[in-house]
Amino acid sequence: MIFKGMLALFLVLQMAMAGPEWKVAEPDFDWSFPRDHWAHSGYRTEWWYFTGQLTSREDPGRRFGYQFTLFRIGLQPEPSRLDSRWATHSLIMGHAAISDLEGRRHLFSEVLYREVPLLGGFGAPGDPLIAWSLPPAGGEEHWELLWNGEAFDFHMSDPERGMALDLLTRPAKPLVFQGPDGYSRKGKPSSAASQYYSFTRLQTDGTLTVDGKRFQVEGRSWMDKEFGSNQLAENQVGWDWFSLQLDGGQEIMLYHLRDRGGASDFARGTWISKTGEARYLEAGDWSVEVTANWTSPATGAVYPARWKVSLEDVEYEIVPLLAGQENRSRLVLDLNYWEGAVSVLNSEGEEIGQGYVELTGYGANNRPPV
Amino acid sequence: MIRYFIRSTGAHLRQAPSLFLLTVCGVALGVASVLAIQIINRNAIGAFSAGIQAISGEADLSVVGRATAFDESLFPRVLGMEGVAAAWPLYQVDVALAERESFFLQIYGVDLFSSFRTPWSTTPEDLSEVVSEPGWMAVSPALAREMGWAEGDSIQVTSGTRRVDLVIGALVDFQKMSPLASRKMAVMDIAQAQGLLGTAGLIHQIDVRLREGSDREQLKGVLQQRLGPSVQVVTPEQREKQAADLMGAFRLNLTALSLISLFVGLFLVYTSTQASLLRRRTEFGLLRSTGATSNQVLGLILGEVVLLGAVGVLLGLPLGYGVARGNVEMVSSTLTNLYLLQEIDSLEFPFSLYVLAAGVGVGGAIAGALFPALDMSRRDTRALLSVTTLHEKVSSAALPLFVAGWLLLGLAGSWFWLWGQAWKPSGFVLAVAILLALPLLTPFLILKVCARIRVRGFNLAYALKTLSAQLQNTSFASSALAIAVSMLVGITLMIGSFRETVQLWVETTIQADIYITTPSWRAEPEAAMDQELVRQMGAHPGVASFEALRRIFVSTGDKRISLAGMEMRLAAAGQSRFPLVEGDRLNLLQQLRDQGAVLIAEPLARKSGLEVGDKLPLYGPRGMEEFPIAGIYYDYSSEVGSAAMDLATMQEHFGPAPINSLSLYLEADRDPEQVIDELRARFPGIPLRMRSNQHLREEIFEIFDQTFSVVRILQVMSLLIAVCGIMLTLLVMARERISELALYRALGAGRLQIFRVFVGKGLGMTLIGLTLGTVGGTVLAAILIYIINRAYFGWTIQAHWPGWPVAQQYATILAGALLASLYPAFRASRTPATELSRDDI
Repeated sequence: MIFKGMLALFLVLQMAMAGPEWKVAEPDFDWSFPRDHWAHSGYRTEWWYFTGQLTSREDPGRRFGYQFTLFRIGLQPEPSRLDSRWATHSLIMGHAAISDLEGRRHLFSEVLYREVPLLGGFGAPGDPLIAWSLPPAGGEEHWELLWNGEAFDFHMSDPERGMALDLLTRPAKPLVFQGPDGYSRKGKPSSAASQYYSFTRLQTDGTLTVDGKRFQVEGRSWMDKEFGSNQLAENQVGWDWFSLQLDGGQEIMLYHLRDRGGASDFARGTWISKTGEARYLEAGDWSVEVTANWTSPATGAVYPARWKVSLEDVEYEIVPLLAGQENRSRLVLDLNYWEGAVSVLNSEGEEIGQGYVELTGYGANNRPPV
Repeated sequence: MIRYFIRSTGAHLRQAPSLFLLTVCGVALGVASVLAIQIINRNAIGAFSAGIQAISGEADLSVVGRATAFDESLFPRVLGMEGVAAAWPLYQVDVALAERESFFLQIYGVDLFSSFRTPWSTTPEDLSEVVSEPGWMAVSPALAREMGWAEGDSIQVTSGTRRVDLVIGALVDFQKMSPLASRKMAVMDIAQAQGLLGTAGLIHQIDVRLREGSDREQLKGVLQQRLGPSVQVVTPEQREKQAADLMGAFRLNLTALSLISLFVGLFLVYTSTQASLLRRRTEFGLLRSTGATSNQVLGLILGEVVLLGAVGVLLGLPLGYGVARGNVEMVSSTLTNLYLLQEIDSLEFPFSLYVLAAGVGVGGAIAGALFPALDMSRRDTRALLSVTTLHEKVSSAALPLFVAGWLLLGLAGSWFWLWGQAWKPSGFVLAVAILLALPLLTPFLILKVCARIRVRGFNLAYALKTLSAQLQNTSFASSALAIAVSMLVGITLMIGSFRETVQLWVETTIQADIYITTPSWRAEPEAAMDQELVRQMGAHPGVASFEALRRIFVSTGDKRISLAGMEMRLAAAGQSRFPLVEGDRLNLLQQLRDQGAVLIAEPLARKSGLEVGDKLPLYGPRGMEEFPIAGIYYDYSSEVGSAAMDLATMQEHFGPAPINSLSLYLEADRDPEQVIDELRARFPGIPLRMRSNQHLREEIFEIFDQTFSVVRILQVMSLLIAVCGIMLTLLVMARERISELALYRALGAGRLQIFRVFVGKGLGMTLIGLTLGTVGGTVLAAILIYIINRAYFGWTIQAHWPGWPVAQQYATILAGALLASLYPAFRASRTPATELSRDDI
């Protein structure tokens, strides 16, 4: 899930070499929960990433995919000493999207503020509030992420786009580290890594608003939390990331970074058993084949739109539930990526799970400049 | 007819090139003066709008403080309002370069991470540097080139008593997006601007972009209601209009003066057209007798005039631009001094100004020529072919014109007395009446004066006497000069009186021995002085007492005024500091100290119709509050108006803040310059501007003189036109009176005698113009001082006759007229007796 966080890094260009002042990911990080659910300001980037599929309680045929993410983007490792309430050393960025699978619509909303008391910020361990920010202009209700003792509650709304999420989660399975001891490699150099854990199956309830219409919803979510101080290598242009929840109770997380030629440059993954044990996958343990493409009418980017994943002799087919699930930022120039709800099929074509896929670096100008 | 027009115009030009040149010069000067003022006026507004454009970009609304700055916690409230698509805060502070104290940078502190959409969205490659690099700022490449700065260079600036290092982080071409934007503009992160150069907690502006399709007026109202009275929600057009209104009086006065120059120019066109038509009467007679209609003749004449106007415009364009260019800096300083507005940094010359120049030149030429042209074209053929009927027209009309002149004056005076006083521009009506009446009165006065001259030979007296015989020409030349002199004398008297008044005011109010402020104070009047430093300077050996001044800008109604806070308990801050126009002198201090009363400056009282005992509404952080007015004081420091209150009252209502300047009263035996040296040595490296009493007075008068420099240029241009008029008239005489001159020659007059007679005529006309102009100018000065100035600026000016400058100007005019007479006199003296023709006997 680090790749999602990398999206934020485009803002902090030229930070290729993590300066000595930023903390870097270590294989022997001293994890402590619930403390580590809160922000770690010594690292350059950090994010809380929720994706999931929900169904209306009143109308079970009405399905939605959603994404809710808050990023902390470090600007400088130390707090500013300036006498100003605008003085900051990090930014908070929020992305939220709802895919209305029946209405065939995809809504995207975003916020970007400096971390200052007026605009947004991060709570301290012990305080239920993990992060908050003002909503997009024209709205009043804050975007918030809270620790509820077991997992997370969060809220976002964007009156202009008529969308809102108000969701409560509780873990159906325990927290799992992505990578041994939560140390997740991202590239060939050992320094390219992050601290990474997930809640791969969160029972989710609450309300969801699309086009001003509110739905009582329930379903399953996936949460990633990651922090680190690294970035894309120069030869990498983007990444494909998969989080799959199988109906049998297992989860699969896979990612690979692509080089300029489109080939896979670095790949990893995690297999999580029904009881929550993780098995870490190397590049050779799995493969992916793109079987269809979709061209965004808005950006012209050509994204993969169907995949065949082979993992330990099992083949899965991954099918987007809606083609147009492209997020296009208005606050950050050329930040466009595909983040969408998918269905997992077995070789017989039966649906055996659900998931989310993220695709970045497609299209002419869409390479995150990190 | 067209072919005839081309040929006849060519022939006419070849016959009288000097006549043509002088007329063209007159038109060109008139066009140039109108154009120069319009360029300056427009660019003054342009500089302000460009500032708005470059910074506020595509904002639909701006939230600005009623005082200078407002609480930044209003920002989320603006952002959260329904219908708002984006909002971004702005902190603005002007700082002085440490190495060049009179060079100010306009620093805009912005939040580059907000949904910020300026037209110059060139974002620096590394946004984190904007925040993390102390003093990071973006400047325009033009400024960097001028100052020899490169990216990465460090420069030192001062803001109040703070000295701060800034870094040239990026070069951003602000002018590319908004061509009139000041090159002195610099952009930095809002936190850096507040923290390094300004004050935490306050911002100056929030720009708002609305969601597409929203009702701007409705949202403006809702936003205003939601934010309360400490701020004002305005559209970009409203902000430009506010600036335009602020400069309104200044612009109007300059425009009026430039129109006078044009008016004088019109006389020139009239004279020359008249002369040319008289000379060509036979030609027109022949044309009419061979079948040309009167309209064709009119067309022919006006065609030539249009050509003349067009040539005048062609010359006037570069001249006007040059005058504007040469004076822009002075006008710019005036605007910054008087109105604290943005400097004019570059000049733009929009297409509409070309059109204006063409309209003024060609239109003016037609207006000047229309009357004689109509007159000529309507005459019947016989009248055109006979000479005698032409010359006597003005002589016979002299008395009716004289009566008309007085009637005009009487009507204008009565109108003003009965109805006009309540109307702000009524003073201009009176001034125009004077300027129109002068030429009407002139012919009769010339006749009367000349009638009294006794001639005993072909000498100077003869020259003067014969002025009345050529009234058609002479009265126009004298009138044109009279108008120019009126303007010159009127303005000289006004400025002289004003200067004298300010002199008295300065002597009363500038009492302290040393005045201390900071280099950035000129551009940023709220630049703070360190409190501890103030205390130490107040306790410096030799300092008997000190007076601290805090100046802020606040709104009263729709005006923004400067409000001074001082410790009124100190004796020094008493009457002498505020010479009263009106108010209870005995209880003044007590009212100021204990009742939270204010003193208001005369311009504010006049413009807002406020009197002692009224209440002055002021908008502060708590909204609108009213302060009893204890007195009205003379003040010439600002046209917009100012007010003063006790420092404690200010702190109570407007919150605590550092002071901005300090005045020291020394012990009797201390030398101010020596104490200044001591203070400099004691506080090295602290940016301070220290001036002794004497030095400050000099500086005030420098600013004063600078303020009127453009007016002086206009005076000179009018005079030049008038002198051209004298020369033109004499040339016309030399031509028109060829047969008469030939007769003199035939009768034995020597060349030198004719030369002298001609120079005498020139001087005669000049003297008449001077006399009439002096009378007109004195009346004009009274109108300027007592009516126009009071209505537009609100100052009391004590009348004063500045003898020496006026005498100098007279001498210059006479010398100019003398010089202008030499060439025509020389031409006249060369007239051979053989020019005597049968027609003229």
